Amino acid sequence: MKTTNPPDPAGPPHGSQAKGQSRRKFLDRLGLGALLAAVGGQATMMLRALVPNILYEPPRRFKIGMPEQFPEGVTFLEGQRLFIFRDQQVFHAISAVCTHLGCTVNMIQMNPPQQIEIRGEIVEQEQEFHCPCHGSKYYGEGTPYEGPAPVPLAWYHLELAPDDGQIVVNLTEPVNQDFRLTV
Amino acid sequence: MLVAKTIWKKLTWTWKPESEFEAGDSIVRNLLLHWFPSKITFDSMSFRYSLWLGTASAVLFVILTLTGVVLMFLYVPSVERAYASVKDIEYVVAFGWFMRGLHRIGAHLMVLIVFVHMIRVFLTGGYKNGVAAGQNRPLNWIIGVLLLLSTLLLSFTGYLLPWDQLAFWAITVGTNIALAAPLVGEQIRFLLLGGNEIAQSALIRFYVLHCFVLPTAVLLLFAWHMWRIRKDGGLACVDQAALSQKKEKTEPVKSKTYSLLGIAGTRTVHVETTLVDEDRYATNSSPYLTRRLLVAILATTLIAALMAIGIEAPLEEPANPAVTSNPAKAPWYFLWLQELVADTTMRIGDITINGALVGGIIIPGLLSGLLLLWPYLDRSPVSATGVWFGPERLRQNIVFLFIVLLIVILTIVGTYMRGPYWVLYWPWEAWELLPRHF
Repeated sequence: MKTTNPPDPAGPPHGSQAKGQSRRKFLDRLGLGALLAAVGGQATMMLRALVPNILYEPPRRFKIGMPEQFPEGVTFLEGQRLFIFRDQQVFHAISAVCTHLGCTVNMIQMNPPQQIEIRGEIVEQEQEFHCPCHGSKYYGEGTPYEGPAPVPLAWYHLELAPDDGQIVVNLTEPVNQDFRLTV
Repeated sequence: MLVAKTIWKKLTWTWKPESEFEAGDSIVRNLLLHWFPSKITFDSMSFRYSLWLGTASAVLFVILTLTGVVLMFLYVPSVERAYASVKDIEYVVAFGWFMRGLHRIGAHLMVLIVFVHMIRVFLTGGYKNGVAAGQNRPLNWIIGVLLLLSTLLLSFTGYLLPWDQLAFWAITVGTNIALAAPLVGEQIRFLLLGGNEIAQSALIRFYVLHCFVLPTAVLLLFAWHMWRIRKDGGLACVDQAALSQKKEKTEPVKSKTYSLLGIAGTRTVHVETTLVDEDRYATNSSPYLTRRLLVAILATTLIAALMAIGIEAPLEEPANPAVTSNPAKAPWYFLWLQELVADTTMRIGDITINGALVGGIIIPGLLSGLLLLWPYLDRSPVSATGVWFGPERLRQNIVFLFIVLLIVILTIVGTYMRGPYWVLYWPWEAWELLPRHF
């Protein structure tokens, strides 16, 4: 049985010949399309498999201890890269992650405390933050004044856990620099 | 026995061919030599034209592959054990220090030599098409730029594997640069690290990229690079030689057919021919090219091995996300970028543009783009092909060298003149002593 016709260079195809031509073309495209869809689909699956569905990372909201455990002044939480400030009953938390490229900033104690002007206000600060990677410098409340850091250090929301009264830090909730937790 | 002898004959060749036929035959017949032309011009073989830098980088790639495979048998890509296994390689495994030292110094040398190779090709106008048919040297230049970028990525991914302080903070800085890319930055970093933090999934990803994905890419690109050189009729200095011969106004002659072995078949035998294959200008690749190749392999291996013995590979304290080493420096070939990201934060009124975006993405992106496109922007005449400091390319060579000089200066400043907190010090000045932990 003859199922296909050779192309006829003498004239335009007609009748069953034209039908055979377009059927062949269609089947060609169908085959190629199926191949591309299969390859594309599997490539997508492979790439998707590399996007984790679950992260085994420390929680972004965690307890750091009872308020009375924190001494007056500043405490650095190494594991969480966080500075916890305590002034009597008032707490706030500033991130130690430099806003330039993510290095951990160091705290520099100002001895004696310095008078500085931030946004037109004179404030007294006891510490500054300096980044070892590219030399960014921040005032004690996190505003950068030197180096490449583009924005202030992040401030995070603090609350008291309703169950045991520990301080809870929420890294997913940045707050303004006037945020304070009073216990 | 007979089979072994046949295989041996197929892999070896005579170093002392007694005829033109025997010389050419070893090239055609031999698997190891098949990618060479049968005849090679003296210019192409000379040290003063090519400096043999491409060969040196290929040799270094082989050294890195071999030492890398040994290290793969000894290294454990897990955050708990990576540091200890590297420490074992350094202090316990027999000759482990040498394998690691050679791998490390080989990587440094490869970055350096691939970079200098690019400078050589630029200054000689080696990316320009000459007189032969079917050339596409700009494409080969693009492949070369991709090879340079792959080399940098290889060294970057390898940098994390020891899981020490140096590794951790270099990768922190590097991946946070990706974060600064607009729109896709966060997703790219997430995909690269397999999470938000540099932890186990990041280590295994960098490991697989370093040991399989990137070396495979380099191998494929390298094969393409070599194949293109043959398709382009050899190094650009061959075209320069052909051009200068045209000025000699010799009578048209028939091409010698043996010279067509492996050379593009688009040229007809009668029309025009250059005399580059004449004995005055060229010689048999076997044994003259193979012998020089052997010298280049020996020299590269020797220098790398001696440096590996002389220079100790550092291993800092285990990675500690809480404490950034001070100063925290990227490997030297990225220090010009680190200088850029440290210096390019811009404040225009109330808007602040992070230096990570300017110095880490925009400037290197522009430079890479310009490199890729340059052969198509270079409008110099064909006479500037394959010659050092062609007078027709004077201006672009000066601009290029100026950029290279800036990169070198920034690298030197970053390497020798930055102390704790990235403060400028003179190289001979003592750094202010700081407590390691605060």
